[in-house]
Amino acid sequence: MMNAARHLKTRSGLLLIVVGAALLAACHNQDATNPAATGVPAALKSADLVARGRYLVRAADCAACHTAATGAAFAGGVELASPFGKFYGTNITPDKDYGIGKWSAEEFYAALHDGVTPDKHLYSAMPYTSYRGMSRADSDAIYAYLMQQKPIKLANQEVELKFPYNMRFGVRFWNMLFLQNSLPDASAGQSAEWQRGRYLSNVMGHCAECHTPRGMLGQLDSASPLKGAALSRVVAPEITPAGLASAGWTAQDLQVFFATGMAPQGSAYGEMYPVVHLSTQYLVKEDLTAISTYLMGDKPLPPQALPAATVDAGKLVAGRQVYLAVCAGCHGREGEGKPHVAVAMKGNSSVRNADPHNLLVATLDGIGEQQFAGTERMQGMPGFASSLNDRDIMQLANFLRASWGGQPDNVTMEQVGKLRDSAGH
Amino acid sequence: MSASQSASQISTQDLSLTINGKQVGPMPVPEGLMMIDFLHEYLALTGSRLGCGQGVCHACVVILDKPDGSSEEVRSCITGAHFFKGKKVRTIEGIAQRDDKGEVTALSPIQQKFLEHFSFQCGYCTPGFVNAATVLLEKLKRAPVARDKLEDTITEALNDHICRCTGYVRYFEAVKDVALNTPGLVKDAK
Repeated sequence: MMNAARHLKTRSGLLLIVVGAALLAACHNQDATNPAATGVPAALKSADLVARGRYLVRAADCAACHTAATGAAFAGGVELASPFGKFYGTNITPDKDYGIGKWSAEEFYAALHDGVTPDKHLYSAMPYTSYRGMSRADSDAIYAYLMQQKPIKLANQEVELKFPYNMRFGVRFWNMLFLQNSLPDASAGQSAEWQRGRYLSNVMGHCAECHTPRGMLGQLDSASPLKGAALSRVVAPEITPAGLASAGWTAQDLQVFFATGMAPQGSAYGEMYPVVHLSTQYLVKEDLTAISTYLMGDKPLPPQALPAATVDAGKLVAGRQVYLAVCAGCHGREGEGKPHVAVAMKGNSSVRNADPHNLLVATLDGIGEQQFAGTERMQGMPGFASSLNDRDIMQLANFLRASWGGQPDNVTMEQVGKLRDSAGH
Repeated sequence: MSASQSASQISTQDLSLTINGKQVGPMPVPEGLMMIDFLHEYLALTGSRLGCGQGVCHACVVILDKPDGSSEEVRSCITGAHFFKGKKVRTIEGIAQRDDKGEVTALSPIQQKFLEHFSFQCGYCTPGFVNAATVLLEKLKRAPVARDKLEDTITEALNDHICRCTGYVRYFEAVKDVALNTPGLVKDAK
């Protein structure tokens, strides 16, 4: 079915989509969710419905889109930019007029499972594409928890979409074409831990929504699960077993990263920062282990050691000068980082990434001050768009990549300029 | 390029720049040396304060004069001396007027107002506040703000500077005093 979907990338228009959809509508098979992998971890199994719901709401990271930075809990308003226009997280408090107060548990499940609410079809900015695999029991627990929240009288913001995406009825055909009962796996495994990790990653945590590339109509590309995608300014990196191993991640590193937002490979930034904040830091150890097992597979690839410098140091002198001038004060002369100030550059995931995109974006835009679990903090990093020119940043990026990333020194000034322009610097 | 940190093998580079209107260098300077250490140890300009040493407190800021006539603060504790190669820098020592012998003959308006408003107590953060306020006043001279935006503008300009004696209000009032009583910095000032 997804092969057929990919062939439709030929912009052949709505008609073909409708015909294709009609032909394919009968192809849906039964839910593939493994019931043993659903629900809350062992310690919460006998907890009441609302307590279970609280854990699951965090595992599903509902707040990421439904709680605005300065707004009331679950009252909506978070903006989601996309190539099709802007979406806004909706009010899911139990307010009867503005929230979901009139919905039954059945209707709530339909929203998660089918993307259909009592009054309309949801756009797939709501990740029912992932939540579809959620068990009814888990949906009911989440519903129970949300119904305990304070009702907030706050109207939803209308989506602002371009034609033809603003025609909501099109979602029906989109669903026929692209809605799958389960998402493809990037790793191999069978263990109970792997199964639990699959449920937590593919269904609850909806990792694929950012980390899997999307096709022309915004559908997840089922041939490239978790291979990394550029949904926003900071790209979601590849998190397949091979991708993680190539950046030196171990299962232990991943678990620490999810629990604290920091690992030897760097700190969570961009859209992963709120994910850690709102979701993964609350998951119990056994669930974090399950997620790392699912991402890496039952037989993880050995993490690749950081290769020696790829380029003769003489070629990197100019970039090193830039580094010593404006980076070394916080990131350390030898890229070792400073605790509670700035992460290490040596072996940093964004430096080791073959794609320099995130390294360049961080250099140009900076990263705001970050707060992590407990009292851990990382200082704000200034953007260097106004103090370094394209040549400086190119040389700096190449120095970092070749010295501490095992990557070639192949960043060009054009790449820097393009990213500078796209941010309006 | 040696990465060795042993004293006998520190690699240096020639550095020349303009500080407080005077040409400095060319002179050999270790390649990873931070600007504040260069000012303190090589030039005996000890007025810039090392506070946190990691770019947070802003006690160490110097003023970078850009070719387009604008000026900005740079944190000297986390910025390498060689960043300033060929550039024009002002430090706290260059803010007041001096005679030929180097004796201070007149404080700058903001220095004077900080005194009048008793803005500081221990004075450790004061060089940073003087430089921040100086940069702000120069910015206002180039682009005056409306009267109702002045408070926000001052807050924004001074906000990153930390004062442990809690002189914030008096620093703020002193800057506002200068801004309102210097012609041309504020639009519609009454």
